[in-house]
Amino acid sequence: MANKEELFKELSDAIISCKKDNVLAAVEKAKDELDPSEIIENGLAVGMNQVGILFERGKLFLPHVMMAADAMNAGVESLKELMPEGEGDSKMGIIVNGTVEGDVHDIGKSIVSTMLQSAGFEVYDIGRDVPIRNFIEKAKEVGANMIGLSALMTTTLPGQKEVIELLKEEGMRDSIKVMIGGAPATTAWAEKIGADCYAENASEAVAKAKELLL
Amino acid sequence: MAKEYTLRMGDGKRIFLTKERILEEIEAGTADAADLGAIAALSGDQMDKLAEILMMPGKTVSVEQGMEVPVTHDIGTLRLDGDQGNSGVGIPSSRLVGCMMHERAFGADTMELGHIDYSFKPVKPVVANECQAMEVCQQNMIVPMFYGAMPNMGLYYTPDGPFENPGDLMKAFKIQEAWDSMEHAAEHLTRDTVWVMQKLMACGTDGVNFDTIGAAGDGDFYGTLNAIEALRKTYPNMYIEAGMAGECVLGMHGELKYDGKTLAGLWPHEQAPLVEKAGANVFGPVCNTNTSKTSAWNLARSVTFMKAAVEAANIPCHVDMGMGVGGIPMLETPPIDAVTRASKAMVEIAGVDGI
Amino acid sequence: MGMPISHIMASGMTGIRAAGDLVARMEFSKNMRIGEAKEYVAKKLGVGTMDLSDEHVMRELREELDIGVITSVPGAAKGIAAKMNIEKLLDIEINCCDTFRKQIQ
Repeated sequence: MANKEELFKELSDAIISCKKDNVLAAVEKAKDELDPSEIIENGLAVGMNQVGILFERGKLFLPHVMMAADAMNAGVESLKELMPEGEGDSKMGIIVNGTVEGDVHDIGKSIVSTMLQSAGFEVYDIGRDVPIRNFIEKAKEVGANMIGLSALMTTTLPGQKEVIELLKEEGMRDSIKVMIGGAPATTAWAEKIGADCYAENASEAVAKAKELLL
Repeated sequence: MAKEYTLRMGDGKRIFLTKERILEEIEAGTADAADLGAIAALSGDQMDKLAEILMMPGKTVSVEQGMEVPVTHDIGTLRLDGDQGNSGVGIPSSRLVGCMMHERAFGADTMELGHIDYSFKPVKPVVANECQAMEVCQQNMIVPMFYGAMPNMGLYYTPDGPFENPGDLMKAFKIQEAWDSMEHAAEHLTRDTVWVMQKLMACGTDGVNFDTIGAAGDGDFYGTLNAIEALRKTYPNMYIEAGMAGECVLGMHGELKYDGKTLAGLWPHEQAPLVEKAGANVFGPVCNTNTSKTSAWNLARSVTFMKAAVEAANIPCHVDMGMGVGGIPMLETPPIDAVTRASKAMVEIAGVDGI
Repeated sequence: MGMPISHIMASGMTGIRAAGDLVARMEFSKNMRIGEAKEYVAKKLGVGTMDLSDEHVMRELREELDIGVITSVPGAAKGIAAKMNIEKLLDIEINCCDTFRKQIQ
């Protein structure tokens, strides 16, 4: 019989392999020895975290991250019948993410959405060149805990400030965290416009979202 | 109290550090690059030299006499005539005037002509205008004169282009469709780039400067390498400069290969041989500036990566040293003390062939 | 503008003010690394490599060789005329000169 640590490692390694079959087999093996919540938190989620690190280090690529996320979803799904009702559906937080109006850059923002989604957040990527008001509307619609704002140009950076101002006007600022990112954004800019955090890259975005929402 | 020296954060903010702290930051920066790229960290002497450059008392510093290198330029004349609220200073002037000012007023070693949108795809419908401007520049100027633009493969995805956005496809777990979309976009990128440059070569350009290669990931790099290869085959004497977008090739696709080498995840020293193999004359490696770290950390990291690229290449390396890269702070008006220190360190420690 | 001017002042060869354009041409036309390019140009000009960034040496030499100078000198070769002289001096081909030659045939 494998000990707990070995099972956690097998689960984590299965996620890093990015193969659904491996994950399902590891979950099946661990089911009798571990609680579903332990399998997810100490095994699968640890593997996903490692996948994020390997992505930032250029060792794993976006399709691998997606395959790993897909495999993790399948693993969690296979545990649902063993979990108390509703537990498997709980998300770590709801995030609306997009690139501000006037800015057509999409790739970095999409990667951040993907990594947040892979880490277990419920993510609504509302695209690029998004009118300021749409961030607010979407946040209301889905009950978001956080809004992510990307801008890749110095000319569109002020859009991040405008969303924060609109959140204040709508009386929503206290209940929604704001994370900003994009090449010209900095910690100093985040402080200046009153954002809750600035993230340098996708894995930092995941870490900071966890810090703020968990 | 120990003497403190004025340095910068990666966002340009002024900070004060002791020599001991500067050396700690340098050590951490070079270790980070060495760890990521599996390359050699700076030696003790090189770290001391970098600290010495950072602690020099003058506002500006410069390379030792005799160590000067050619400084090439990107973004065409946009830094002069650009008035879009970005780093352009909004001086109403023609592109010929802008190019000649770079040659005659600023002492640029090479110059380039660029389109306001600065991507190859939107040049297609206005290529005759670009050719005309290039002819006039070539008739009046002496320094090597390139045509410059970004591959910008993102323009081939919806809503700007014909292929579905691979980011959206990935999020829907449609991996194969995302791969197909990137491969089609890369083919179009190669075709458009070659077509545009054929027209400009016929009008006398010295060559092409590919700016921010790989901004849309490994597909962007793949499409550009194929374009370089095709151009070199047609024009043996064309000047080709290949400048990257970031330090690591972003693995959007993950499986694309050039010369048998997977492109995703390559660091500058691994990119250099491929750029050379494709047929470029000059490689422009990049190292990103982290805005939350000090200039000592950023510059040490950047010099470490660039030094490895210079050693891995057989062609000249002109390091990218614009806003937010090469140890330069991420600021539209980068502090001159930081710019000149980065410039000196790149030449004297990394041994770059140009900037 | 602070960025390019700062780089040029800190590390650049200052283009046609000295011999930066010539060294750059050898890097781009023959893939020469910086040391080799400087040696090559210096040899062709009959000067030392230190002289390639020396305005005092290069000003007179550029005028003498008629390869273009940075200030406005009436009668001095400019544009393609200067580049045709650079072609001969460095033993290289320059695309716009070729294009020009084809146009006048």
